Amino acid sequence: MLRVSEHEAQLTENNIVKEELHLLVSQNLVYKLIGSVLVKQDLEEAKGTVGKRLENINGEIKQYETQMKEMEKRSERHREVLAGLQHEYQKSQGKVPVKV
Amino acid sequence: MAERNKRKNLHPQEVSRLKEEQVKVVIGCQDQIQHWKKVQSDYEALQQRLSTLPDKLSYDVMVPFGPLAFMPGKLVHTNEVTVLLGDNWFAKCSAKQASNLVEHRKKHVQTALDDLYKVVKNFEARVGFTEDLEKQSSEKGDFVDIIEEVENEEILTKGKQRTAHKPYSRPKIQDVFEGGEGDPKAKSGILSEEELWARLDELEMEEELLDQKDRISYSTDTNGDDTTSSSSEEEKEHPSGNLPCLHGEEGWPPVTREDSRLITCQVNGNGQRHSDDEDDEGSCVPTIYFTHTVEPKRVRINTGKNTTLKFSERKEEAKRKRKNSNGNGHSVPGLAKIKTPADLYRLFVDVVNGELVPRKSILKSRSREDSVCSDTSESSDDRRGFCRNLSHDESTHSDTSEGVLHEEENSPSKPLPLPGVFEAFSGTVVEKDPTLPSLIPHLTIVSPALPTIPERKAEEVVPQLQKEPCKRVSKFKAARMQQI
Repeated sequence: MLRVSEHEAQLTENNIVKEELHLLVSQNLVYKLIGSVLVKQDLEEAKGTVGKRLENINGEIKQYETQMKEMEKRSERHREVLAGLQHEYQKSQGKVPVKV
Repeated sequence: MAERNKRKNLHPQEVSRLKEEQVKVVIGCQDQIQHWKKVQSDYEALQQRLSTLPDKLSYDVMVPFGPLAFMPGKLVHTNEVTVLLGDNWFAKCSAKQASNLVEHRKKHVQTALDDLYKVVKNFEARVGFTEDLEKQSSEKGDFVDIIEEVENEEILTKGKQRTAHKPYSRPKIQDVFEGGEGDPKAKSGILSEEELWARLDELEMEEELLDQKDRISYSTDTNGDDTTSSSSEEEKEHPSGNLPCLHGEEGWPPVTREDSRLITCQVNGNGQRHSDDEDDEGSCVPTIYFTHTVEPKRVRINTGKNTTLKFSERKEEAKRKRKNSNGNGHSVPGLAKIKTPADLYRLFVDVVNGELVPRKSILKSRSREDSVCSDTSESSDDRRGFCRNLSHDESTHSDTSEGVLHEEENSPSKPLPLPGVFEAFSGTVVEKDPTLPSLIPHLTIVSPALPTIPERKAEEVVPQLQKEPCKRVSKFKAARMQQI
């Protein structure tokens, strides 16, 4: 779930970057920070890269969501089993005092 | 009661917990709002800087060297700005382009702020509601629980209970027929048979009881109101009988009746309330326990044209009883069985001088011969008392009080002409009185505005002074008679 929220934050950021890149003209120089080096990039390339990044993020978010659903289902099953066990335990407890 | 107290005691804790959570959310939202506002102000400052930056080719500045030192230096290439676009992307652009980017970001910030404001509003409203809930569950608030305890457990329903809804109404035939299969089963079959007979006897008794109840409560169902006691049902039954005449003013009588009941109930309830407060110390909400009481109440019904009918349930009941004693025998005394329109005319009669006089339609103008006001002859005493009470309060346009006052004042001065004016009532509906005009001018002085009022004055004068039933003549007719 934390990962999902992280990915969502990245998603919004990349959306902003994409929009701002659209505002720029090709005359502007675009750099990418790799480590401690600013590497010159082409505007169009940058747009493409950012777009791909966005898609990756979306895909990851979907995967996380499916995972979460599965986990929820598993937890539901466990809960049901637990409830059944508790019920039986209570029954047995109920019977024992009566017998005694 | 203990359970109710327990429930009430739990509530404050839960409510306070809920309130805590909501307040937390509100605080969190407000922190975020503060943050975004700061960001917004930063962006605005940046925009200003960007606008002024390209004014000069280079600026002399003190450049910070680490956290503790500064160096004098120059700011060059003032139009070239490297902007961080996010996610490790940079762009070199002019100052103007940079300010455009900043503007674009500011929009995002503004939308975020708006959302936060909305959330804060919603949660503040929620906090208000939980506060009200808290007050309600505690004794501090003005909320009062009004509880009516129904002692009479008999539920009055229309018609008889459905046999399908009665438990064990269908005899268990299966067990009886399967009696021959086995020993335990045979035994159970025999037992069920005996039970069956016992059950049937019970059901017969129940049915008889229900029949009796239905007979009693049949007439009350026509009213459609909720009733809790049988005596109040009977009282209610009278207005239902009068419905055809006063149908248009249905809103009035129920309201006044309910008011009277509420008043009486509150009186009872207040008395009870104190006792209840003393009894349950653990109860969080002051409660008023009230019951419907039997209060025969006089009701003033507005029939339009500045006339009002005074409806007295007691009078109606007395009338009905008298009529029943005189006439045929009803199965239940005091009840009106109206099945045909003719029954109405039979029922609604004025008992004048021991004789039955049919009432005239209220749709007809009151300036005609006989008044339509109910109980004019019989409840004259009551009305006089009622009018006297009002005399100090009401304005000139009130029908009864003003004229009454005047008449009372003038009556001692002119006692002689009045007795001579009206002839003794002979039992006929319409009669012309030539001597009445002497009184009419006097009456018109009293209230010239409304033509119908003098008639009422005339009517009321008579009962007041003479306490006799007299016929009434319209002033126009009287004037004509005078002329003739």
